[in-house]
Amino acid sequence: MFTWSTHQLTEYFTAVNASASEAAAIAVAVERATEMVEAEAGAVVLGDTVHGAWGFGRDVPTKGLLAVASAPGTLSVPALGDLYAVPSHLGDVVDGALVVARLDDPFQPEERQMLQGMAQVLGLALRSIRVLSAERTLRADREREADERLALLEQAQTRQQLVETLLTIQRAISNRKPLPEILDAVTSGTAALLGGAPVALILAEAGRARRLSVASTAGAGGYAFADPDGPHAEAREAMATDTVLLRPVSLTDPYAGTVIAAPVRVTGEMAGSLVAQLPGPADRFTEHRDQLTAFAQQVSLALTDARTVEAVREAHHDPVTGLPNRGLFLKIFNRVLASRAAATEPTSVLFIDLDRFKGVNDSLGHEAGDQLLHAVAGRIRGCVRASDTTARLGGDEFAVLLHNSPVESAISVGERVIEAVKEPFRISGRDIFIGASVGVAITRAEHARSDELLNQADIAMYRAKKEGQTRVVVYEPHMHTEALNYLSLRGDLQQALLEGEFRLQYQPLVRLDSGEVAGAEALIRWHSGTRGLVSPADFIPIAEESGLIVDIGQWVLETSAAQVASWRRTYPDLTLNVNVSGHQLVHPRFAANVTRALAVAGLPSSAVTLELTESVLMTDPDAAVASLSSLRELGVQLSIDDFGTGYSSLAYLRELPVDELKIDRAFIARAELTGEDLALVRTIVELGHILGLRVVAEGIENAAQLEALRRLGCSYGQGYHLCRPKDPAEFPQILGSPVRVIDHGTG
Amino acid sequence: MQSTPGRWFGAGHSAASDSAKAGAEATTVALAGRTPQAVFVFASAGHDLPALLDAVRAEAGPEPAIVGGTALGELSSTGGASRGGVSVTALGGDGFQVGTRLAYVGGNGHREAGAEVAAALTGIDRPHQALLLLCEGMSGNPHEIVRGAYSVLGAAVPLVGGLTAHDKGGARSYQFHGDRVVTGAVIGVGIGSDAPIGIGVGHGWHRVEPPMVITRSDQRRILELDGEHALDVLLRHRGLAPTDALLTPGRRMEALGLSRRSGEDMRVITEANADDRSVTGLATMPQGSICWRMAGDRDSMIAGAEASCREALDALGGRDPLGVLAFDCGGRLGELGADGVREEVEALRKALGDVPFGGAYTLGEIARVRGSLGTHALTLVTMALA
Repeated sequence: MFTWSTHQLTEYFTAVNASASEAAAIAVAVERATEMVEAEAGAVVLGDTVHGAWGFGRDVPTKGLLAVASAPGTLSVPALGDLYAVPSHLGDVVDGALVVARLDDPFQPEERQMLQGMAQVLGLALRSIRVLSAERTLRADREREADERLALLEQAQTRQQLVETLLTIQRAISNRKPLPEILDAVTSGTAALLGGAPVALILAEAGRARRLSVASTAGAGGYAFADPDGPHAEAREAMATDTVLLRPVSLTDPYAGTVIAAPVRVTGEMAGSLVAQLPGPADRFTEHRDQLTAFAQQVSLALTDARTVEAVREAHHDPVTGLPNRGLFLKIFNRVLASRAAATEPTSVLFIDLDRFKGVNDSLGHEAGDQLLHAVAGRIRGCVRASDTTARLGGDEFAVLLHNSPVESAISVGERVIEAVKEPFRISGRDIFIGASVGVAITRAEHARSDELLNQADIAMYRAKKEGQTRVVVYEPHMHTEALNYLSLRGDLQQALLEGEFRLQYQPLVRLDSGEVAGAEALIRWHSGTRGLVSPADFIPIAEESGLIVDIGQWVLETSAAQVASWRRTYPDLTLNVNVSGHQLVHPRFAANVTRALAVAGLPSSAVTLELTESVLMTDPDAAVASLSSLRELGVQLSIDDFGTGYSSLAYLRELPVDELKIDRAFIARAELTGEDLALVRTIVELGHILGLRVVAEGIENAAQLEALRRLGCSYGQGYHLCRPKDPAEFPQILGSPVRVIDHGTG
Repeated sequence: MQSTPGRWFGAGHSAASDSAKAGAEATTVALAGRTPQAVFVFASAGHDLPALLDAVRAEAGPEPAIVGGTALGELSSTGGASRGGVSVTALGGDGFQVGTRLAYVGGNGHREAGAEVAAALTGIDRPHQALLLLCEGMSGNPHEIVRGAYSVLGAAVPLVGGLTAHDKGGARSYQFHGDRVVTGAVIGVGIGSDAPIGIGVGHGWHRVEPPMVITRSDQRRILELDGEHALDVLLRHRGLAPTDALLTPGRRMEALGLSRRSGEDMRVITEANADDRSVTGLATMPQGSICWRMAGDRDSMIAGAEASCREALDALGGRDPLGVLAFDCGGRLGELGADGVREEVEALRKALGDVPFGGAYTLGEIARVRGSLGTHALTLVTMALA
């Protein structure tokens, strides 16, 4: 676990560099370093003297400290016992080490790395303090060469610049700037300090090959060592030897320049190298060698920091929505269950699954999908109290944990969520319409388990989906068995297509004025070997969810097209209606698949009407318009099925290239239609006529309904009263003789 | 188990409203006729403190060291937990050595004050030693006081103690040294003993997920958590509206735990600024730290108190405990509630058996046993003497 903050390092830098004397710099460095790793004692060893001893009390173990200044070991302290001690060297110019000692626990690699960084900074500060005090001594000496003084002054300025640059980088790290930005700050800071010299940060990629790649460059370009495709020989060598490399560019010409490469480590592992090229021979650049090392330490800290914070975050949060993930949600849930004031305090969990999300993701791409999820997360959070916990469980599934919340309020939160999600989302410049199904589980039990409750809410959510989506269902024990059954259906369905268990029936589309059969709607039937006859209402949602609908839909299209083509040899005007799922519509090869099916069957596209439900069209009307237009170019006709059940937008209806409206059976479901029913149906019929569309009434079940629809001017109808769906073998029998559409008994 | 004959530790308590009477009553019970070497007095700032100390001195005699301070509440094995009263503990007999020092924080600064009072151990040569620090709780940087003492004594001497408080809302609290009532000071009490001295620390708070990052801070003030105004984030996590007050009397206290190698470093939030939406605590809030909101339920906090006692007793190396000096955080008073506090006292009695204990509810606790950091919040710090 990450136990210090990079800001403490910033404070450390500031404090060490602000120190006016060596003693002050050493004291603050030892103290802060000791505290940050929760050690008991520390000191700086310079040559053979101990400075800034901290935590030893009156008896400083000088001998022991001198011994551990060169290599890690045990430090015996009379009143304390044996401590683990590690030395961190101060750099090449200042010969010494920062020693930190701790009871009980040895130091971890990341702690040693941080201590190394701190020691490096102390070394730079000590050297600068020495230079400055030397300058003060020399100032009295008027005889000194003017340019020498200038050089010293420059060094002092460089020191200031170095500290400022390091601070800028530290701030970038502690403000959690994006990693590339921090790495750029390191290379550009290094370049600036080296007078605009070219600098490259080369990092090893993950994976066994450990390929080296250039993560950031700064300064003048066009140098071989920064070439992305170059061999990175200097970086490799610095990494392999774990030392700062200082090498002339040319073996024959020392003035061709010098390459410096400093290794970069992340939590103890070699991770890459910071490389720079300077003009002139190598012996001029000892000073720069330390600076580059200091910057390399910054890279190490930035990478370690980024990795740790990311790990902490990733372990708990979903990156798309910023909400807690499943793991954290369950943790919070357990905590809530454990800390209920009374065991009987009701705790509810909502399992929310988005309806039609997959379609958006498939048609608009993952980025739009992510934007949508982010927006959904915001709306869900807007529906709950701040004290409730909202989480994304994965995919298009969310969960909400409600504190002390009886079933009624849980349901009303669920309903609020549904209403909020129903409102259109503006994503990538389009209005997206989706829905949500909500399952609720609630407990008052003393020993409740979070995963069990979440599972129950999940089951209730499945039930909500099954009951027609966009609703809230509260878990009841019997649902468990049903859910198991529901899930095993999914497995059987995959087999059904392979085993050829699907059949088609055809329902005639009847002209209400003449009773003639104008067309046939293909209806799928599944006769399962193990389950018997399974209703489409039970398996179509599962097929859609699993994506299997695309294959099943294609099978329906191919089979029915071939069938109707064969009937058309006798009845050339017969047309075919086929239902198309939203998943098929957004499938990139859908238009091509339709063309192929019709070509193989020899059925002209003008004889085919594809039926789409209103909700499918309205999920993403813009995408629907585009997809439908290309289908229309093929010559097929389009129909809106179940019209009136979704949320009709007249504006979209006018733009959609459709030819037919099918009035949902719900509008004519009553045996005796009321004045209100009639008014609604009349409106839809008139709307269809105004837009020049064919209007078909579904679900006509008695003579009175038939008569009413005829009078309202509805041109076509379907329903048991007219004709039940027929097996293919029986269908030709009704093609020859018109269906009786006028009840002479009452007329 | 073995014990040293002739050594003793006593605890007394008084709820009398007359300050002199309260001081006398509590001291009489604690001393039970014995002559003490040191007397520890903790009282409400509402008392007439000079009168109270005079009465303690009258009972204790001219020799013993008298130290203590004002507190948010008093704690003792005889009177349980109280507010507005007096608790007195005392120790004496063979094998104890006691020295005291006083330094003002406003003199040369926090660190120097800490270093100065470390001299309380000067001349103490018993094999087991500890430095008790009683510090002004409203001086701003108690951590520096502890650092100062540590700089002199190092890791070999445990540091223990608490921050004095003003329970009536005053801007400064009071410390007792000898017969004087002072303010803005640090009292160091060097304790030497022939027998081991055990220190225990326990809190029983736990993290509330999710973790947050302090993205902007200035000393003790947090401006932003996860890039949002800190106050807004804490209100939301607490289930309160943005217009609500975060810190209201009677409401649960707000505490953050900063990630540390050995657990969480607790920070009590003491101020919420409705204008700039920042929050301020009692110690520094390093920018970039990962932190959690901390929550304590009654059971785990009481378990934390028991753990503190056990730790202190276990460190006695098998010797019989004579008594325990306790520094319990005032924040725990509010968190536990009246019933919880009673349960906590019962838990202490159960953990300590017949061993007398006494001390105070403080504004912050001090216990440096491991590492070099020694300030705590929302904990119970115990020091067991054998």
